[in-house]
Amino acid sequence: MPDSTTSPEGKKLSCIEMLQLMLEGDATLEQQQNFKAHLDECMPCYKSYNLEVTLKMLIKSKCNGNGAPPELVEKIKTQISQNMPH
Amino acid sequence: MLLLESMEEEIRQNYTEAEKLQVFHDEFMPHINSMYNFAYRLTFDEDDANDLVQDTYLKAFRFIHSFEKGTNAKAWLFRILKNSFINDYRKKSKEPAKVDYQDVETYYNSDDVDRQITPDLRVESLQDMIGDEISNALNSLDVDFRTVIILCDLEGFKYEEMAKILDIPIGTVRSRLHRARNLLKEKLTDYAKQMGYKNT
Repeated sequence: MPDSTTSPEGKKLSCIEMLQLMLEGDATLEQQQNFKAHLDECMPCYKSYNLEVTLKMLIKSKCNGNGAPPELVEKIKTQISQNMPH
Repeated sequence: MLLLESMEEEIRQNYTEAEKLQVFHDEFMPHINSMYNFAYRLTFDEDDANDLVQDTYLKAFRFIHSFEKGTNAKAWLFRILKNSFINDYRKKSKEPAKVDYQDVETYYNSDDVDRQITPDLRVESLQDMIGDEISNALNSLDVDFRTVIILCDLEGFKYEEMAKILDIPIGTVRSRLHRARNLLKEKLTDYAKQMGYKNT
């Protein structure tokens, strides 16, 4: 019977696999709890996880640009309405 | 209709003209800022990004009968944009040839994949990067690596959605993303060193 630190095939997950599962956001609640507990015992995982989460947050806050130019939005809307039968 | 092949089983929707407009405005237009950002980060040119987004929206409208209301419009739009970029823009641009994925796959089939490749980059040095460092580092990546970071970390797509957008298996999404994050961290480690962190 696979537990939360094993894959569905019953193979034990490595640190890197657990880390990926957490970053994908696909870990079950139990897997999340186990991983959090694991972080207390595994410094490399603790460092990697914090770094990855920080990086993800920074990408989200620093790389989302200034938005589409208003002229582009208007141009698209106009073109679509011109394509419609009147 | 090459564009839509393999996305979903195509079922023709019978929209009235009014419904088409409603779907377009309610489900497609809300993604325009993300679409523009993606287009700009692919082309690095405002005019090209404008054209790419415009072409994408016109295509999406032309094929709106194949879009089922209430399903994943964002993934569909990103897929169309990515395909337009490859077919119409990449050809004429000076973008270097594709990464040799044979190398990438060989690398990930080796024992190295289990190695925790963490450049010794610290959270503190990342948090001190308050300028354009993160954005520049992202832009410096090869387009295929840049794309997976944008789709996953910036736009929040799940691996399964990314696989459909990019037409690649989920395993490849995972390995490409892992490699892309490591390249990004390497780049940021260089920046941190330049910023004077002796022990990044």
